[in-house]
Amino acid sequence: MTISLAIFYYIYLILVIIYLFYTFSNIYHLVRFGFISIGNITLIFFYLAVSILILTISWRYIGQIDWRQTISLIPQFQF
Amino acid sequence: MLHFNIPNGEKGEKVILLLRRHPFIILVRTISWAVIALLPLIFYLLFGNVIAGFFIAEAFYPILILFTSIYYLYIWLFMFAGFIDYYLDAWIVTNKRIINIEQKGLFNRVISEQRLYRIQDVTSELKGLFPTFLNFGDIYIQTAGEAERFIFKQVPDPYRVVKKITLLVEENKKFHNLMMTEDKITV
Repeated sequence: MTISLAIFYYIYLILVIIYLFYTFSNIYHLVRFGFISIGNITLIFFYLAVSILILTISWRYIGQIDWRQTISLIPQFQF
Repeated sequence: MLHFNIPNGEKGEKVILLLRRHPFIILVRTISWAVIALLPLIFYLLFGNVIAGFFIAEAFYPILILFTSIYYLYIWLFMFAGFIDYYLDAWIVTNKRIINIEQKGLFNRVISEQRLYRIQDVTSELKGLFPTFLNFGDIYIQTAGEAERFIFKQVPDPYRVVKKITLLVEENKKFHNLMMTEDKITV
């Protein structure tokens, strides 16, 4: 029995979408209930910069993988 | 005077104290997340070769990449959420009332307030090693006819804050009694 490696990729994309949703919610809270100050704006930009950095580095590796390949769930033994 | 947007601010109301938890609390949280961020690296250095043997070779690398990416994205997200939780939990003391703002999770925000003249008792508690050395603790505020107490959690310099609130309460009670007397005379 084999499954497509792309399934893991789609799960990853869903988790990234959830991440983006929570990122938006966090920033919204900080802007709405916090106070617009230089410290706050710097913090938001720093958070976004690190997020973009993680996603960019990830994408460099993810882009190199062939997601069309399949993997076997049952171990195949060779005699 | 502190410049701060008071929820439902009244005419002539001034912010006397704006309190948050002691910075040590956010420092501990940040260090905890940093340690969690380092765990996979330590784990990989110690058991990398052993674990690789358990995975199907062709699937191991892509899954590892996806897992690592998600792991660090979410640690970063939780660190940020932790900071927001710290930052948005605030206790404000004005010349008229005390306001308790608590961010309980991302979509749950509680704001409660109490008039200064209704305050009956203010107590501070400094318990534990770090609170004693770094001078932070809880402040309990008991109001008239209210079963529930206001709690200022892990705020810096609790003794000074209690002293300040007590002084404000006394002043406010005098002013309130004066106003009540004037009202009676007018009636």
